[in-house]
Amino acid sequence: MVDPLRLGRMLADNTLRHGYPLPVDPQVITGWAAEAGLPQPRPGRPVVFTGALYQLTPYIEALVELVGRFRDPRIPSLGLRLASSLPWSSELLLTLLETPEVARGVRRAWGILGSIARLLREAGMRPAYAWEADLYSGIMLYDLGMDEEFAQQAQRVHKLLRERGVEKVITLDPHTTHALRDLYPRYVDGYGLEVQSYLEVIDPSLISTKGEAGEVTIHDPCLYARKAGVVEQPRRILAARGLRIREPQMSGVNTYCCGGPIEGLAPRLSRRIAETRLSQLERASKTIVTLCPICNANLRAAAGGRGDLRILDLAELVGNA
Amino acid sequence: MFILQVYKLLDDKRFQESITRASNNARHGVSKALKENPWLEELAARIKEVGDQVISNLEHYIDKTITSLQRAGAGAHLARDSREALRIFDDLTPDVDLVVMSKSMAAEEIGLREHLEKRGVEVWETDLGQFLVQLENGKPMHTIAPAIHITRAKARRLLSRLGRDPGSEEPEKLAHAAREFLRGKILSAKTGVTGGNAIAADTGSLVLVENEGNIRLVSGVVEHHIAIVPVDKILPDLRTALDMVLVQSAYAGIFPPTYINVITGPSSTADIEHKRVLGAQGPRRLDVILLDNGRLRASKHPVLKAQLRCVRCGRCQFECPVWEKLANHWGGPVYGGPMGLNWTSIVHDPDLASELSFYCLLCGRCSQVCPVSIPLDDIIRWHRTRVWKEGHSGEN
Repeated sequence: MVDPLRLGRMLADNTLRHGYPLPVDPQVITGWAAEAGLPQPRPGRPVVFTGALYQLTPYIEALVELVGRFRDPRIPSLGLRLASSLPWSSELLLTLLETPEVARGVRRAWGILGSIARLLREAGMRPAYAWEADLYSGIMLYDLGMDEEFAQQAQRVHKLLRERGVEKVITLDPHTTHALRDLYPRYVDGYGLEVQSYLEVIDPSLISTKGEAGEVTIHDPCLYARKAGVVEQPRRILAARGLRIREPQMSGVNTYCCGGPIEGLAPRLSRRIAETRLSQLERASKTIVTLCPICNANLRAAAGGRGDLRILDLAELVGNA
Repeated sequence: MFILQVYKLLDDKRFQESITRASNNARHGVSKALKENPWLEELAARIKEVGDQVISNLEHYIDKTITSLQRAGAGAHLARDSREALRIFDDLTPDVDLVVMSKSMAAEEIGLREHLEKRGVEVWETDLGQFLVQLENGKPMHTIAPAIHITRAKARRLLSRLGRDPGSEEPEKLAHAAREFLRGKILSAKTGVTGGNAIAADTGSLVLVENEGNIRLVSGVVEHHIAIVPVDKILPDLRTALDMVLVQSAYAGIFPPTYINVITGPSSTADIEHKRVLGAQGPRRLDVILLDNGRLRASKHPVLKAQLRCVRCGRCQFECPVWEKLANHWGGPVYGGPMGLNWTSIVHDPDLASELSFYCLLCGRCSQVCPVSIPLDDIIRWHRTRVWKEGHSGEN
């Protein structure tokens, strides 16, 4: 198991120092926007804010796997000693994580982000991007109970966005949406950003009906469904592309977690929860649509490379038309 | 180390199957009850409001309950903590040698059975599930359904140890064997212990809900009935106390309950010359031990006080993905799951609650399904904030 205190301190130190929970090259986070041809912020234009979550998910997965290798429950004392002696906050850790697999994961994340940008344009929007301000939202610090450090990051992100004249923010995942919309106002004096998920700003009637026909099921992320009220919007977008949706057991506000939040602390428990969720989903359809990179990674890991299942981000399925 | 226990539980196939089955049955039971009786949701909303009123003025309601109990002819005692509750119990039962109990989480909380056994008193749990838990020397795995982890094969083995092999693993046979054994004990005991699902401040009426019928025996055929009732079970009046037990049973997935018992003072008769005599067919003595054990302090805490309106239906447990894998092994020594973790903090050890809080997904299913809208996951997250503060043991 990962000592949550040690992990939390590392994530907080890196976030406050580099802007991201790991000291990655900022190009990893922002490179997709140049490829997508997004302009710098301009008055009146909404700004896409990734909060770095899609881009960092491959690193998080690699970190969890790395820690898992040091944690053998049969030899707990040795496993824990090794795990706790890992070079947590150093750049060395990042070097260990920068594998070809992670690089492929980042490419895939860039592809998803680019698809979302195209989807927004297709729906008549003209989004911009604030390169230097697209930092990590800090949501993991909030989840770990590190309110002081979360507040610092929230204030910093807010300041950077406001300095660039940003008023409207489009978020791309449930964690960042929850952080900027529900939590930041509690931690930032004079909070002045209007925050909506891309799923909420897209008018499904404006996007083209051409796309992949077929039947899919949808995994609602906990935060979208229970905190942000984003349930119907993704379904309308999928339907606009001609996809039929088969609801799984437990959907909408009643959705069931992918197990992701405890993957670091209790990987086997997390995996079991993901397997339970996967079995609920696959009973509805073999094509599973996710709306969050962490859910996607966890469900894929639980599927263990099974060829009969497709676990795709919504943007991968509908964004390339 | 907790994580090793987690892995052991994950590898226990039978345990996993029984928890999953119990969760699915309970989910089905609750949705059926709510679908057929939509008024229950309104009732739950009202209980939430009334619960908050009581919590914000808990001392007043404790005093009022004590006065009402005394007026009804019952002994009323306020125990500040577990130790005091056990001392009061000992003072009330100096010569007792056999005690029958109905399932009570409050009795578990103060460790009553173990305490009595140390005193050399013979003690029997009479709720079938709790009886099996007693026989395996384990801990209740759910607030309402304590033995969900015990298979029929294991139940047979446990009963056989009493020298009463039920002859087969048929649940009917197992229940019958337990009934025969326990019936003898109940009829010989002079002291019966129950908890209390609710207590009415205006009348001092104790309300107990059950399906098995053991509570009516334990509280009815003995000479001395002692009820241990946590102070958060106080409701302003009998009407809302009855409403509360309806909500509790519905959200536990057992609706309608077979029995609702209302007990206002000891049994009595005035049939001879209109002179009131205590002890007709029921107990001659009723004592209620109101248990504080951290609840009054929690009622003044900005975060924890919301937990006090919990009706203990256990729905949050059945709906929690982590609980569905670990049952009450996660959450603390007595209470488990989302609500259990917060109760552990209030009545046992806030530092333990903080440590265990990191196993929560913060997925929010518990808060979503709570009949009285307790923000369970917010309270659990708050426990995490404690560990980052210097010298976090104690209050903050």
